[in-house]
Amino acid sequence: MSAHAGPIDHHHDHTTTSGIPNKKLFMWGFLASDCMFFAALISTHVIYRLHPTPDTPDVRKIFSIELTSFSTFILLMSSLLMALAVGACQKGKVEATRKMILGTIFFGIIFLACQVYEFFHFIHLGLTLSSSMFGSTFYTLTGTHGVHVAIGVLWLILMYIRSFKPADAGRAWIARALLQFAAFAFATVSIMIVMLAITHAGAEQGYSLSSALGALHHTALSTTATGVFLVSCAILFVLGRSSWAVDFGEANAVDVEGMGLYWHFVDIVWIIIFTVVYLLEYL
Amino acid sequence: MSSAALPSTTVQEHAHTDEGKFHLFVQIAMLLGIITGVEIIIIYLPLAKWLIITSLTVLSLVKFLYVIFYFMHLKFDKLFCTILFFIGLILASGTAAALLAIFSVKDSIPETAKVIYAERAAAAAAEAAAK
Repeated sequence: MSAHAGPIDHHHDHTTTSGIPNKKLFMWGFLASDCMFFAALISTHVIYRLHPTPDTPDVRKIFSIELTSFSTFILLMSSLLMALAVGACQKGKVEATRKMILGTIFFGIIFLACQVYEFFHFIHLGLTLSSSMFGSTFYTLTGTHGVHVAIGVLWLILMYIRSFKPADAGRAWIARALLQFAAFAFATVSIMIVMLAITHAGAEQGYSLSSALGALHHTALSTTATGVFLVSCAILFVLGRSSWAVDFGEANAVDVEGMGLYWHFVDIVWIIIFTVVYLLEYL
Repeated sequence: MSSAALPSTTVQEHAHTDEGKFHLFVQIAMLLGIITGVEIIIIYLPLAKWLIITSLTVLSLVKFLYVIFYFMHLKFDKLFCTILFFIGLILASGTAAALLAIFSVKDSIPETAKVIYAERAAAAAAEAAAK
């Protein structure tokens, strides 16, 4: 951890002309430009909803307000954990920062899993990217947002792995970091497969514990995915226990804060999408 | 990035502020969750459409502002961050408003949408004739 004479002022940097850390200023500039990107996508969707084309499906029969509300709640809670991670890092609490980042990753993956399930479900009902103008604008908008979430999750994973960088420069950690990253990647993909298997089994046989457990060994793919997920989690648990001094702490708070700004931005974009794309359809 | 250090006399003040922030963040997250619940209930209430749309807009705006000012620390950061982000927001809102206005002009309505409008007009005319 870097040595400092006292606590760092995280809101003002007296070494820059603006008084704002350069990384934070860059992130705010980027988010301001990303606002315009999403405004164009949302406007396009709204225009074609106000002037619907003949092939527009009955959206109320396709949407699941329960699933979308759950996703929204999950994303809001992930924002809370992200804010707490930034707070913990600003206080130099590395262990708490890691836990909060892990929680944010977990919620981010749940959100992505919900979106993957939603897209599978909609395609099954006949709403595809090319089936109607509604499908084109809907998938472009929510898909772009989903890509933003996926990039956010990747960033969080990299930051979590970064927090294990040893203070002793001679200590090898690259191989360990790569193994940690591979474990995260396998865990993410396998849990998506498991979630899809469980939800498909639930839709066919009714949602119960027995149908969920049955789905885990229903096909060779779901059985393998369950095994891969458990092994990946075990590897992450073992690698997540470090006893050495790390080169990560209060001095890295601005990096965590920049990541947090991006994550919260993804959340505020979803706040608008939830209202404009989903809720207004029920009027 | 290099950061400036604070005088040691402010350490206790900071510790107290950080503890307060934790509770504040949790309370805001709960409030945002409740607002989301209220939004879902509102769409099923037998109210006028304009009232529901206005309520949803206001509630979304409240959620939006809470996240940017507290979770994104705009309230605690320098004013320039707020100005920078709001420049983007205003430009984005202007773009959205301009697009919606342009496509609301009769001649700009998408060709494919005109088919639906023609069908609706024919149905309305047939209904009027039946009366």
